[in-house]
Amino acid sequence: MSQTAISVLTVDDSASMRALLRSALTSRGFAVAQAEDGQEALEWLAANEVDVIITDINMPRLDGFGLIEKLRTSALHSDRPILVLTTESSDDKKQRARNAGATGWIVKPFDAEKLTTALRRVVHC
Amino acid sequence: MTAHPPYDSAANASPRLTIMQGEARASADPALTMTTILGSCVATCLYDPIARVGGMNHFLLAEPPDPARARAFDSDYGLFLMELLVNEMLKLGAVKSRMKARLYGGANMNRDLAPIGSGNAAFARAFLAAEGIAKVYEDMEGHQARRVEFRPASGLVRARMVHSDEPTAPIPTHKPRVPAQSGFGAVELF
Repeated sequence: MSQTAISVLTVDDSASMRALLRSALTSRGFAVAQAEDGQEALEWLAANEVDVIITDINMPRLDGFGLIEKLRTSALHSDRPILVLTTESSDDKKQRARNAGATGWIVKPFDAEKLTTALRRVVHC
Repeated sequence: MTAHPPYDSAANASPRLTIMQGEARASADPALTMTTILGSCVATCLYDPIARVGGMNHFLLAEPPDPARARAFDSDYGLFLMELLVNEMLKLGAVKSRMKARLYGGANMNRDLAPIGSGNAAFARAFLAAEGIAKVYEDMEGHQARRVEFRPASGLVRARMVHSDEPTAPIPTHKPRVPAQSGFGAVELF
């Protein structure tokens, strides 16, 4: 495996959740960038590369569904792995994320080991 | 597992809802009263006065604060129940920037043991500060249990101390290993 750290963009409007994700991922060797909502993520992704995106669903301005839909129609990020990380547990929401083009669905509270295993899998497959 | 739907008193003869440890519920029902009994647990009563939507959670972090474990499972669990509460309210039309919080509980029930209640209280305060949610009132710590009644559609809270010999005093419980309303970190790749 490459020694280069996998780069992750996490998108979540909760400062507490961002801090938790940053800590969990950097301590496991990932390079972490963060955005506070879908709109900020889009702006950041217009100028930056990343290996994988983790996004929340409920966010102001542009929610997780909107972010996925916009990325899937963009030239730069149409194939980028996108994992949804959410407290939502309804099958409807999960199906909606899948239809929008999400790569996977992870229910909070997350297990850091399961999350990082999923990140490595979607980046290397 | 699925999250509980918003509570609807029309489907229930008794408009009282007990919020158990590990739960977060929201409602805009003017007839409803949410109740809980707290020892070292903390309950957050969140209210959006414009949407007239309120919600309550009830959580217990199993351990007192420990720097080596500060970001381990326990605080994740509290964070999950806080976020779940916020999201349940958003579904009913609340707006996060308008939410106001009242905090209850966090008593250190056994003076000879580690101050678990204070750990829960500190977590709740830190969460609200980090999220920019206004804390308008707190009644926490001390050594006595509390009974809390919350009207989610009006934001009114009534709290009183519960004496340990009352039949309604909380029974000491351990935190459930799996949060009641979660899929517990389930990963599904499409």
